[in-house]
Amino acid sequence: MTHYPRPCVAALLVAGALLTTGCSSMKTPATASVAVSNAAVDNAAGAGGAEFAPVEMSTARSKMALANKAMAAKDYKLANDLAMQAQADAKLAQGKADSARAKTAADALQDDIRVLREELARTSK
Amino acid sequence: MKRLALLTLAIALAACSSGPRSTSLLEQTRTDYRAAQNDPAVAKYAPLEMKQAGEAMAQADAASNRSDNADKIDKLAYLAKQQIALTQEAAKQKAAEADVASSAKTRDQMRLAQRTNEADKAKADSQQAVQIAQAAVDEAALARRRTDEAQRANRESQARAAQLEAQLAELSAKKTERGIVITLGDVLFAVDVARLNPDGMRTAQKLADVLQQNPTRTVLIEGYTDSTGTAPHNQELSERRAGAVRSALQTMGVASGRVTARGYGQSNPVASNDSPQNRQLNRRVEILLSDDSGRISQR
Repeated sequence: MTHYPRPCVAALLVAGALLTTGCSSMKTPATASVAVSNAAVDNAAGAGGAEFAPVEMSTARSKMALANKAMAAKDYKLANDLAMQAQADAKLAQGKADSARAKTAADALQDDIRVLREELARTSK
Repeated sequence: MKRLALLTLAIALAACSSGPRSTSLLEQTRTDYRAAQNDPAVAKYAPLEMKQAGEAMAQADAASNRSDNADKIDKLAYLAKQQIALTQEAAKQKAAEADVASSAKTRDQMRLAQRTNEADKAKADSQQAVQIAQAAVDEAALARRRTDEAQRANRESQARAAQLEAQLAELSAKKTERGIVITLGDVLFAVDVARLNPDGMRTAQKLADVLQQNPTRTVLIEGYTDSTGTAPHNQELSERRAGAVRSALQTMGVASGRVTARGYGQSNPVASNDSPQNRQLNRRVEILLSDDSGRISQR
């Protein structure tokens, strides 16, 4: 029980090697995705995400903060995962803000039309 | 020890032989994905976003099929879930924008209709105003014409009255309580006969003129004598003298219906019969002129 069979040890070694290479190759993509996600959060905030999608917006911000922390701690895998999630949240927040604004515009027009219809009905009597 | 090794192997085998691993988040995401697939608005307005959602879903499914650990599956499922939600939002946005485009068109048409309506109304109002103004002008013109007519009628009637007064003055007419009385004296008749002499005829002509100019008036001709002679003779003479005046007027064109003649003989003298002058005053024909409506107070 104290010593593993030989193939198992080999597999562990290979896995360890893969993880190491994975981590080293992770460094650049994590930096990139954190940057992209930061930009996505900024865009969403600029589009009124805080107003129209407060839940997604605050989730994106807190995940972004955690991603930045993970970057500082050189945990690039975690940083990448969090950045990806923050990006998805931020994009959703922006999408909600955009669709809410479009809906507001459509509703305003419907209101205009309703008023005009009433006006028309009144004046054509 | 041997049994422990077998147990470990069994666990490992069980892990290998177990089918695709799933998580509740993955199941939820799959439900969301199917809903998006069945949403016609998504197909119409957000095909690109849906394609990306499909790719994210496929990655999560692949992790599930590989029986990756739950953490890894959940990470991918989360990304897919957010992408699906984004797809729905994009579809809503595009639908709302399409709605805006078509509503703007509708609104513009309605504005046009409204303006046309207002213009029509303004036109109708102005036409009505013109009609009202025209009616006022017409009415004013009519009122002026009526005033003019009334004034002319008034002037004419005043002129007629003045003319009548002048003519009556010429006939020495007197206003009495019975009305206007014109007395034809004895001198206008030949002595003891009922024929008007030329002076009498001229007076009768003046009276005929008055009657022709005042067609609503009528006359009552009353003959009187003095008390000389018998009463029947005097009665007859008075009647004939009155009748002579009537025939003279008729000859001059006055309708017979407007002239009534009566004799009163020697009654109703205007003076006592004790002197030739007074008797001459009593020999007379009195002509009563009716008012404008043809009424005469009878004796």
